[in-house]
Amino acid sequence: MINYRSSRDLDWPLLVLALAISGLGILQIYSATAGTIWGDTWWKQMLFVVAGLAAMHVIARIDYHRLLEAAPALYLGGLALLLAVLLFGRQVFGSQRWIPLPGGFTFQISEFVKLILILLAARYLSELRGDRPTLRDLWKLGALVALPMALVMKQPDLGTSLTYAAIGGAGVFFAGLRWQHAVALALLFVLVLPVGWTLLKDYQKARLISFLNPGSDPLGSGYQVIQSKIAVGSGGMWGKGVARGSQTQLRFLPVAHTDFIFSAFAEEHGFVGVAVVLTLYFLLLMQIVQNAQSAPDRAGMYVCMGVGALLLFHLLVNVGMLVGRMIVTGVPLPLMSYGGSSVLTVFMMLGLVNNVRLQRFVN
Amino acid sequence: MWSGGQGQARRRATWFVLALAFWLLVIVCRLVQLQVLQHGYYRAESDKRTTRVVELPARRGNILDRAGRPLALSLPAESIVVNPMRAPQPDVAAAYLAPVLGLDQRDLEQRLITAARQRRGFLWIKRRVSFAESQQLRRLGFGWVEFRRESLRAYPKGILAAHVLGGVDFEERGNGGVEQSFEEDLRGKAGAAHVIRDVVRRGVDSRTERPAEPGANITLTIDERIQHVAERELAKAVQESRSQTGSVVVLDPKTGDILALASYPAYDPNLPFKTRQDAEKRANHAVSVPFEPGSVFKVITVAAAMETTRLTPETIIACGRGRLNLFGRVIRDHHPYDMLPVAGVLAKSSNIGAIQIGLAVGERNLLNYVRRFGFGRPTGVPLPGESAGKVRELENWGRSSIGSVAMGHEISATTMQLAQATAAIANGGLLIPPRLVLSKQRQGQKAELTPVGSPRSILRPETAITMRRMMEGVVLNGTGTLARLDGYTAGGKTGSAQIFDPACRCYLHVYNSSFAGFAPVANPAAVVVVTINGASVFGGAVAAPVFREVASAALRLRNVPRDLPDNPPPRESAPVELADLAIPALESLEELLPEPATPERDGPRSVWGPRVPDFYGKTMRAVLEETARLGFPVEVSGSGVVRAQAPTPGSILPHNGRIRIVFAR
Repeated sequence: MINYRSSRDLDWPLLVLALAISGLGILQIYSATAGTIWGDTWWKQMLFVVAGLAAMHVIARIDYHRLLEAAPALYLGGLALLLAVLLFGRQVFGSQRWIPLPGGFTFQISEFVKLILILLAARYLSELRGDRPTLRDLWKLGALVALPMALVMKQPDLGTSLTYAAIGGAGVFFAGLRWQHAVALALLFVLVLPVGWTLLKDYQKARLISFLNPGSDPLGSGYQVIQSKIAVGSGGMWGKGVARGSQTQLRFLPVAHTDFIFSAFAEEHGFVGVAVVLTLYFLLLMQIVQNAQSAPDRAGMYVCMGVGALLLFHLLVNVGMLVGRMIVTGVPLPLMSYGGSSVLTVFMMLGLVNNVRLQRFVN
Repeated sequence: MWSGGQGQARRRATWFVLALAFWLLVIVCRLVQLQVLQHGYYRAESDKRTTRVVELPARRGNILDRAGRPLALSLPAESIVVNPMRAPQPDVAAAYLAPVLGLDQRDLEQRLITAARQRRGFLWIKRRVSFAESQQLRRLGFGWVEFRRESLRAYPKGILAAHVLGGVDFEERGNGGVEQSFEEDLRGKAGAAHVIRDVVRRGVDSRTERPAEPGANITLTIDERIQHVAERELAKAVQESRSQTGSVVVLDPKTGDILALASYPAYDPNLPFKTRQDAEKRANHAVSVPFEPGSVFKVITVAAAMETTRLTPETIIACGRGRLNLFGRVIRDHHPYDMLPVAGVLAKSSNIGAIQIGLAVGERNLLNYVRRFGFGRPTGVPLPGESAGKVRELENWGRSSIGSVAMGHEISATTMQLAQATAAIANGGLLIPPRLVLSKQRQGQKAELTPVGSPRSILRPETAITMRRMMEGVVLNGTGTLARLDGYTAGGKTGSAQIFDPACRCYLHVYNSSFAGFAPVANPAAVVVVTINGASVFGGAVAAPVFREVASAALRLRNVPRDLPDNPPPRESAPVELADLAIPALESLEELLPEPATPERDGPRSVWGPRVPDFYGKTMRAVLEETARLGFPVEVSGSGVVRAQAPTPGSILPHNGRIRIVFAR
C-alpha cells in the first residue's frame, strides 16, 4: 500500500506552526525557570521537541489504517500500562502518573492513551453502519472511553481523564450525534453530577468552589487563579519584557513553565504576544481541520478531527483556566508547556494528521 | 469506503471551526478585559505583591562633649527575628536558640507558642545581640532565623553624664535627657527603599527611593573631665554624709555654658530602663527636683538690699542677740549675735540679720528680685522635666513670709536655677539662660552653633562686684571656709534647709545642704552649685568640700590663671562655724523643735562641746535637777514627761546653745 511519498508531501505549514509554538514555549520556559531548580528544563524541552519530530516522522510513515487495525491491541496495552502506573508508578505532587524510565526520564502513560483513544474512536466510529450512531453505539463507545478515564481519575488526574471524554465526545459529534441523544446525554450529565461530586477528591471540590468564587480562599485553591489573572492583567498591551515578569520571576505564579506557561507568556509579552500565539494555534487547528476535510476516508477524518478536538479542548481548558474562565485542572498547553510525554504525544498526533494527509496521495 | 456521512462530517467540521472561533472570541475578549481594560488594577495588584516600601533607618547622631569626646554613639548591631509560623516546633526552636542567646528556654518556648497561636509572622527573639552571639547563631545556619541590622546606642563612658544624656528605648528613641529633648535632631530622617520580594518574601532587588539622612551630631557644653570630677565628688559626699540624693551644676558664668551637670544617684544608660528603682535613679535632681534653698538664698536678699536700700556691706544690722519676734513668730540664730555688718550677716549666715535686711527691702522688692534672679521660672535648659520651682505671689504671702523668703524658705528652686542666679552675680549682673548644646551638625553641613542665650541685666555691675566681695567673705571667714580653694580666690554661700515633708506637713530632721559659689572672685570663670539632699549635717560641712574639689578641677582644666600663691596660709584650725541653718517657716516653733545647729555624732571632728543627755520619759523635776547639776541652759514647755528634746541625746550642745524640752502626758 505504501507508494512513494516524498517529504514534500508533508504538511509543512502545520510543521512550521508547531515548531514556532514550540520555540516560543522553549523561550518562555527558559525565561520562567532561569535561576531556579528547573533551570535545565528549557534544553530538555528542546530534546523533547527533537524526539517529537522523530516520533512524528515515524508515525506519519506507518499507514494509519494499519494503526487503526492495531487500535484494540494498543487500547488493551494502554489499559494495562495505566493499571501498572496505579500499582507501581512514581508519585509526584501527590498523584501517581509517571513510570520511571532509565536516564532519569519519566513516562506519563495517560498522555499516550490519548493517542490510542483517538485511533480507537476513529476505528469504532468509522465501522458503524448507518449515518448516525445509535444509542447502543454510544453506550459502547462510552464504556470504552470510561474505562481509561476511571483509571486516570484514580491517579488522580481529572484534567487528563476529561480529555478522554473530549475525545469520545468529539468523535460522537463528528459521527453525527442526534440532537435527541445530545439532550439525553446532557440530562444524564445533570443527573450524574451530584453523584460525581461525591466521587471528587477534596482538592478537586475546592477547585470547583474557588473557580466559582476565587476570592473565597485567596491563599488556597483560589491562589493560582488570582495570581494567574494578576500575571495576565499586569502584562498589559506590550508585556513586561522577557524575564521581567514579576509574577513569573518572583514565583508568585505557580509552575510557570508547565500548566501556567500561558500566564507567564502573557505577563512578559502582553496582549500583543498572546494574540500572536493564539493566531498560531488558530492556524494550526485550521490546518488540521483542512487535513480532516481532505481525508481519504471517514476514519482519516475522524483521526484528524479527534486530534483537532483534543488540542482545542486543551487550549479551551488551559487558557480558560488561566484567565479565570475554567476550572483549575492540570491540563498542559499543547506544545508550549514543559513536559516530555505531552510534547511527544502532540507531535505523534501531528504525525497522525500527516499520515492521513500522505494517504491522500496514495492511489 | 466513503459514505454519505462525508457531507455531514463536513458540516460538523464547520461546527468545529465555529466552536474554535467562538472560543477564540471569548478568550480574546477576556484578554482585552484583563490586559487592556483592567490593566491598571492588575498592575497595582502585581506591584502590591512584589514591591514593599521599606524604611531605611537613619543612623542616630552622636553626642559629644565640648571637646568632641564621644558621650553617646550608635553602633551597628544585630537583632534576632524568627517567623513563628515558619520555625520548627517551638520546643525545638527554643532548645536551639535559648542556650546560644542566653535566654530562658521555657520562656522563649512560651513566646513562640503564643506568637504562633496568634498567627504572627514576626517575633523579636533578642534585640541587639552581641557579635559572638550572632556569629554562633549564624554558624548554626538555620534558615528560619533572621538577622536584622539595627543600631545599638552605646554610652562609652558608662554612667558619666547619664542624666544629661538620658537614654534610648528599644526603638532607639530618646527617653530622657538630651536624647529625648533633641530626638528630632538626633534621629535624622529615615529613607525609603522599594524592595522587590519574591513569593517567599525574600528580597531579590531593591531600589533606594530616598536615602536615609543620618541624625545630627550634637556637641554639648559639658566638659567630660569636669563632669567626671563633679560626679565623683558628689557621689563621695552623698555617701560619706549618708545622704540620699544630690546634684552639682557647673556653669561658665560668661556664656551660661553648663560645664558639668551631675545628679546622684546615677545610672548606666547602656542598660535598658526596667524597674521602678531605675525611674528613681533617672530623676535629674539638678533640674527636675526643686527644694527650699535655705540660707543660700540670703544672697538674693542681700543683693536686693544693695540695690533697693541704702544698706551697704558695712551697715550694721541688729541681730537681737539671736532672738527675734517677727509678727509673733520667734526666730533664733544658732549663734546669737548682737550686731553684724551686712557682710557679716551673709558670712555668718545670720537668720535674724537676713530677716532684718529682708524687712528693709520689703516684700514687693524682695519678690521682684527673686523673680529677676530667675526663680519661679524654668531656666529653659533643654532637658526634659525641668521644674520651675515655686515662688508664691505676694497675695499668698503670710505676714511672716517676708522673713521666710529672706532666708530661703516658702520658696523652692532647683540647683540649676541657683547656678543661673549665682552666675548672674559672678558675671557682673547678667542673667544668662544656661546653654547645654554648643552646636549641632548635620551630615555634610557646617556645624550650627547654638547662640548664647540672650542675657538680661538684673543687677548693677557694682552690686555684683559688691556681692562677690561679700561672698568671698563667706569663704574666707564665714560658714564656707571648707570651700576655700588652693591657688584661687573663691566666693560663695552655704545653705542648709530642713526638708519639708508634704506627707506629714512637717519639717524633717534632715537637710538640703547646698553651696553656691564661684571662682576666682575678680573674674569668675566657673560657677559651681552643689546640693546634697537628706544630709544630717549642714551645707558648709557637706557641700562646700564638693565645691572646693569641683571648682578646683574646673579652673585647672580650663587653664584659669591662679590668683593666689600656691601654698595658702593654713586655715585657722577650729572651731569652724558651719551653722547656717535657716529656720523654716512654722506657725509656732514652740510645738516642733527643729534640729539645732549641732552636727550629730558623725559630724565633722572640728565641732566639739558637751554632749546632751537623754531626757526622754523623765519628769520635769528630774530634768531640771539634772540640767542644773550639769549646767545646761534649758527651755521647757508643756507638762508631764519628756516627749521631745533638742538637740537629740548624745549630740553636742553648741556654744551658748540651750536644750529645748517638750513635756506631754
